[in-house]
Amino acid sequence: MKQSKRWGLFVFALFLMVLAACNNDTGAAADNEEEDTASTEEQSNTGNAETGEAAADDEATEVTFWHAMGGGPQEALEEIVADFNEKNPEINVVPQFQGTYDEALTKFRSVGGSKDAPAIVQTYEIGTRYMIESGFIEPVQTFIDNDDYDTSQLEENITNYYAVDGDMYSMPFNSSTPVLIYNKDAFEEAGLDAESAPRTYSEIKNAAEKLTKKDGGNVEQYGFSMLNNGWFFEQLVYTQGAYYVNEENGRSGDPAEAVFNEEAGKNVFTFLDEMNQAGTFGNFGSNWDDIRAAFQSGKTAMYMDSSAGVRDIIDNSDFEVGVAYIPHPDDVEPEGVAIGGASIWMTNSMDTEQQQAAWEFMKYLTTPEVQAEWHVETGYFAINPDAYEEALVQEEYEIYPQLQVTVNQLEDTTSTKATQGALISVFPESRQHVVTALEKLYQGTAPKDALDEAAEQTDRAIEIANRSNQ
Amino acid sequence: MRMRKRITLYILLILSSIILFFPTVYALMVSFMNGREVLSGAVLPSSFSLDNYKKAFESLPLLSYLWNSLVISAAVMAGQLIVSSLAAFAFVFIKFKGRNALFFLFISTMMVPWEATMIPNFVTIQELGWINSYFGLTVPFFALAFGTFLLRQHFKTIPKELEEASQVAGLSRFQFFYKVVLPVSKTSLVTLGIYGFLTTWNMYLWPLLVTNDETVRTVQIALKQMQTKEVSTDWGVVMAGVIIVVIPTLLLLFGGQKQLQKGLTQGALK
Amino acid sequence: MNSAPLTKESGYEVGDLPEHSEKAFPLRKDFWQAMLYLLPSFVLFSVFVFYPMFRTIYLSFFLTDYDGMPSVFVGLENYAYIFTSDEFLKSLRATILFVLITVPAGVILALFLALIANEKLKGIGFFRTIFSSNMGMSVAASSVIWLFLFHPSLGALNQMLSTLGLSQVEWLLDPTWAIISVSVTTIWMNTGFAFLIILGGLQNIDEHLYENAGIQGAGYWYQLRRITLPMLSPTMFFIVTVSLINAFQTFGQVDILTQGGPAESTNLIVYSIYREAFVNYQFGTASAQAVILFGCILIVTILQFKFGEKKVHYQ
Repeated sequence: MKQSKRWGLFVFALFLMVLAACNNDTGAAADNEEEDTASTEEQSNTGNAETGEAAADDEATEVTFWHAMGGGPQEALEEIVADFNEKNPEINVVPQFQGTYDEALTKFRSVGGSKDAPAIVQTYEIGTRYMIESGFIEPVQTFIDNDDYDTSQLEENITNYYAVDGDMYSMPFNSSTPVLIYNKDAFEEAGLDAESAPRTYSEIKNAAEKLTKKDGGNVEQYGFSMLNNGWFFEQLVYTQGAYYVNEENGRSGDPAEAVFNEEAGKNVFTFLDEMNQAGTFGNFGSNWDDIRAAFQSGKTAMYMDSSAGVRDIIDNSDFEVGVAYIPHPDDVEPEGVAIGGASIWMTNSMDTEQQQAAWEFMKYLTTPEVQAEWHVETGYFAINPDAYEEALVQEEYEIYPQLQVTVNQLEDTTSTKATQGALISVFPESRQHVVTALEKLYQGTAPKDALDEAAEQTDRAIEIANRSNQ
Repeated sequence: MRMRKRITLYILLILSSIILFFPTVYALMVSFMNGREVLSGAVLPSSFSLDNYKKAFESLPLLSYLWNSLVISAAVMAGQLIVSSLAAFAFVFIKFKGRNALFFLFISTMMVPWEATMIPNFVTIQELGWINSYFGLTVPFFALAFGTFLLRQHFKTIPKELEEASQVAGLSRFQFFYKVVLPVSKTSLVTLGIYGFLTTWNMYLWPLLVTNDETVRTVQIALKQMQTKEVSTDWGVVMAGVIIVVIPTLLLLFGGQKQLQKGLTQGALK
Repeated sequence: MNSAPLTKESGYEVGDLPEHSEKAFPLRKDFWQAMLYLLPSFVLFSVFVFYPMFRTIYLSFFLTDYDGMPSVFVGLENYAYIFTSDEFLKSLRATILFVLITVPAGVILALFLALIANEKLKGIGFFRTIFSSNMGMSVAASSVIWLFLFHPSLGALNQMLSTLGLSQVEWLLDPTWAIISVSVTTIWMNTGFAFLIILGGLQNIDEHLYENAGIQGAGYWYQLRRITLPMLSPTMFFIVTVSLINAFQTFGQVDILTQGGPAESTNLIVYSIYREAFVNYQFGTASAQAVILFGCILIVTILQFKFGEKKVHYQ
C-alpha cells in the first residue's frame, strides 16, 4: 500500500515533466496564433519558419543557415532569404541567429559533424583556417567545379582571402574593409583642407595636433582615434606589405610564429603611442558604438571604422563626413587593405540533395541584384562588382558619394600575400592578445614590450594548437 | 517619533530611492527617444512615442520569446519545488546514516560555478537530444541546493507533535509530506517559487547555447540580438527591449514582495 | 502563517541519530525511503553537477583538440602554465579585488537601506518596493542599462559630471575605473536581494528588546550596536556567504560591459574560463582554471564558516 503511494509520487513527478513537454507543443501553437493576430507585419520575419514548416510537408528541402547578424543586418538577411524561398518553392532556407561570431563558431564546433549541425554556417574571416582544418565542412570548390560556376565575376580582392592554394573553401558573404572617417567641419575649423584627407603617419599626426581642442585639463575634441580591435592593427600591418605570421602570412604553409611585432607592427604601435603621449589620441575602448558616438558628438575628429558602418555615420552626424583610405608610414608604399567580415560555409553533415539546395542558395546570394540590395541595406560590400552597376546602388551613391571611396580602396588594392590576410587557426585568441597590447600601450607600456608580449602569447597558442591537434 | 528624526529618515529614503531607481527610469526615458535624441545625450524624451516598442516587436518575434520564457520559468519553478521539497523532507523527517554528509554534498553544489561546468553539460544535453527543446532549458535546473537548504530550514520549524499526530491518525509518510508538511510551508514554497522563476527568467548564456531558433528561445536573447557590432546599435530600441524584458519580473516582484521577504528570512535566519 | 515557536527544541536537529526505537520504521528501511525522496535531486546533481565537475578535473590534465576531446596527456602542465602566466595571475588578483569591493560595500549598502526602511513611517511600503526592485532586473538588462550610463560621450554619468563642471571619467576605459564601474553595476543589481533578506531579519527581532532599552533611555546608536546588529548576525552571516559565492561567479556583467578589458583589469576568473574555453577552445587550461576557482570558493566558504560563524549570535 505504502509502496504504491510512493510510486505514485514519482509517477506524479513524471507526469509533470510530460506536462511540461506537452506545453511545449501547445505552447508553440498558441503562440503562433497570438502572433498572427498581433501583427501581420511580423509575418515577413517570423512567418518564414511557419510557412517553411508547411512547405516542408510538400517535401521542400530544408536548409538551416546559422548566422551571426543582429539588428539591421538580420532584418536585411531575413528579407533576402524570404525572397529566395518564394522564388524557389522546392527549397526552404531557415535562417537562425546564433549570437556573436565567437558564439556561433563555438556552437558549430560542438555540433559539427553531427545531425544537429546546420547546412550553412557563417563564420568570420579569422575562423577560416580553423574551418578548413575542422573536417566538418565541404569546400565550395567542389560545387564550383561541378557547376562550372564562374568565380571571376566576384570581386577578386575578396575571393583572394577565401581562396587557399587556389581552392575556394567558403563563399564570401558580408565583407568590409577599414576606412578613415573624418569630420569635415572640424577640418575647416582647424584650417585644414577638408577635401584632401591626411594619409601618411606624419600627415595624420600633424592634423591630429591641429584638431585637438583642449579646455584646461579636459580634452573637448581629440584629433585621432582607433577602435581597440585587432582587426585595425592587422590592416595597418598588411597595408605596409608586411605579414602577421610567418610562412608568408600562413598562406604558403603552417605558420609557426607571429611576426607582427617586427618593423611594420612597431611602426603602428609607435605611431599610436606618439599621438597618445601628445594627448591627441582619444581612446574610446573596444565597443563599436562608443567610438561612433564619440565621433558623432564631436569628441574625436578622425577615426578608423569599418566600411559597413559608413552610411549610418553619415546619417547620424550633424556635420559633413569625409571618408578616406587608411593611414600608412611616410616611407612605405601602401598596398591597400585585406577584407574583413565573414563568409558562409557548407557543412558535410547532410545529404547531397541538401548540399545542392544550399549551393543554390549560395549562388543566389552572389547575384548582382541580391548583392545590390545587401550592399545598400547593410553597407557591406557587394562581393559581385556587377552589383555596383545596379540602379539601386547608383542612386545610393548619389546620396552617399563617400561610399564610393570604400569601394575604390578595395579595388585599388594590390593583391599580395600580405593583403590576402593571414591564415592562422588561433586567430581569435591572437586578436585578443593584440587588443590587450593596445590597451597596455595606452596605459603607458612601451610599444615594443606590449607588442612582444602579444607575439609571445600568440606563439604559445600556435604551439599548443599544433601539439594537441596532431 | 521626534520630528527631526522623521525628516532625516524621509530625506534618506527619498535620496536612496532616487539613486537606486534612476537607472531604471533613465532606461525607460531612453526607450521613448528617437535616434537623434539619444545621440544628443538628452535625459528626457521630447515626446512619449512608442515607435521603439513597435520596432522591437517588429524586428524580433518578441511575443514568442516572452511565451517561451514564461513556459520555461514556470516549468523550472514547478520542478524545483517538487525536487527540492522531496529532498528537504528527507533531510528533516527521515533519520538515516550519512545524512549530514549527504547534506553537505548537496550544499557543496552551490559552490560549483555553472559556467565552469557548461562544456560537459552542453555535451550531455546534446547526447540526450535535448538541444533546441524545453528539456535542455529546464531539466538541468530542477535540482537546487539553495532550494533544498531554504525548505529544510523551514521544515525544521514544524513541531514534532504534528508528525506524531499524523502517525497516530494513520497517515503514511508520504501522506504526511503532502497533506501536512507542504501546506504548512506555503510561505517558503511561494518564496522558492518566485526565486526560481526570477532566476530562470534571467538566464542568459545557457539559453543561447542550447537553443537554435525562436521556437524555444527566451526573451533575454532578444536583448543580445538587438545589439550589433559592425553596424550601429539603435539604443532606443534596445532600451525598449530592456523594459519589455523586465516588466514581467518587476510585476511579479511587486506582487510577491511580502511573501518573498517572509520566506527568505525564515531560510536565512535559522 | 506558521506560528510554531522558533526555538531549536521544536525542530529536528540534523545531527541526532535515533536514540529511541519506538519509531514506526526501522532504520534500514528509513535509509532506503530517504534515498527514494532524494533520488530526483541526486540523479540531477550527478548528471549536471558532479559528473561535469569530475570531467572538468579530468580535462585539466590534458590538451584538447578542435573537437574539445582530450588529445595529449600533460599532467600538471596546465596548472604550471596558468600559475606562471601573467594573465591568469592578473585575473586572480582582479577577482579578489572585485570580491573585496562588492561584498562589503553591497552588504553595508543593503544594511543601511534595510535600517531606514524598517522604521514605521507613512508610505514605507513604497520605498521598500523601490529598494527591492533591482531583484527583478536581469543581469542582461541591468548591464545594458549601465553600459549606456557609462557611455563615454552619451552616458548620463559623464553628462552629469560635465554639468557640474567636473572633468569626465573614463568609466570603462581606464583600468582602475573599469573594475569600480563593474563593481558598482554588480552592487546595484544585488542590492534588492540582500535588502529583502536583511529587512526580514530586522523584522524578526523581538520588539520587547527595544522597548526595554527605550525605557532605560538608550539612544538610537546604542540600540543599533547592542541590540540590532547582534540579533541580526545570523542573517548577515547568510547574506555574506551567499554574496561571496556569487561574487566569485560573476560573469554576465563582465561579458556585456568590458569583455574583461581594459588591459585585463576586469578579466574576472569565470570570464577568463569562458574565454579560454569558448573563444580559444583550450578546454584543458580552462578546466584547470575552473578547478582553481572551485578551490578558492571552497576555501573562502570554509573560512567563513570557521571564523565568521563564531561571531554570529544565535538566539
